[in-house]
Amino acid sequence: MGTILRTIKTAAAMLAVVTLSGTGQAAEPTRIQVTGEVIDTWCYVTEIMYAEGTAHHQCAVWCAVGGIPVSVLGEDGNVYVVLRVEDEDTNVASPRMLTVQSHKVTVDGDLIERDGVKYLIVTQVADDQGVVNLTHEEYGIMPFGE
Amino acid sequence: MKKILTAIAALTFSFSAQAANEWGIEGEEKARFDAKVVDILCELTGNCPDNCGDGKRQLGLLKEDGTLVMVAKNFDPFAGGADDLAPHCGKKITADGLMITTAHMPIFAIQFTRPEGGKWKRANAFGQNWSQANGGKKAGQWFRSDATVKALIEQDGVFGIPGLEPEE
Repeated sequence: MGTILRTIKTAAAMLAVVTLSGTGQAAEPTRIQVTGEVIDTWCYVTEIMYAEGTAHHQCAVWCAVGGIPVSVLGEDGNVYVVLRVEDEDTNVASPRMLTVQSHKVTVDGDLIERDGVKYLIVTQVADDQGVVNLTHEEYGIMPFGE
Repeated sequence: MKKILTAIAALTFSFSAQAANEWGIEGEEKARFDAKVVDILCELTGNCPDNCGDGKRQLGLLKEDGTLVMVAKNFDPFAGGADDLAPHCGKKITADGLMITTAHMPIFAIQFTRPEGGKWKRANAFGQNWSQANGGKKAGQWFRSDATVKALIEQDGVFGIPGLEPEE
């Protein structure tokens, strides 16, 4: 009897996973802490230009205001796409994201991986050092030099 | 330098063809597929505002096989695709653009949308909305005259550090 019940429970759990996929239901997050630089996802991921630090700050502001997703480039080399910062419920050109472009931050949050993308829901900005990655002396101002 | 010039061309110019243009980005592939427009935060956490957040949430494309595609870019320079997709929240569309697969993640640049039974539309809603909000000013160089951008750069400078200025 116990085996039958376990089988039914397992089947029900598997069915629930299949049913919930694609319906706006919660995925299982992992708690993490990330330290890294707030970056413009498009320019960094596509490598269409040098996209870190002071050299790329102005462009990062343009892209964030334009609604391109903002990420944290972790010291582990991973790119974490930020979907929420603390109690801010929007993530397109939202005020918190606009003011921390190129900053080095440490954030606590929930990581949800889906189809090759690491999404991060930041529950707390534990530290914000401002812009500390001085890249402009080597790269100038990206992408137009002004 | 070639890479930068290609990037500038991709970000600056518009094209007339009604199918995806190549932008010369490593790992890009033209892609056309059917998918449902979803609010990514809603899809992942169940936090779902009305109308996918009315353009204030990052939107994605959910394929029938369950794959969630993150849309990071539209046809306008330095702009994302939320304004193009928000009107289709929860509905199926055909998306046309570039799927760019890198070591970091897959990323989609949407260039055209077509609702079921509807017509193709260029994905440049950010520029159109910006122009409308700025007295009809052309949006081709929106980033140079945008009030929010100007305020942020005035506050922190082009390098993001107040007082640190470019050399003449």
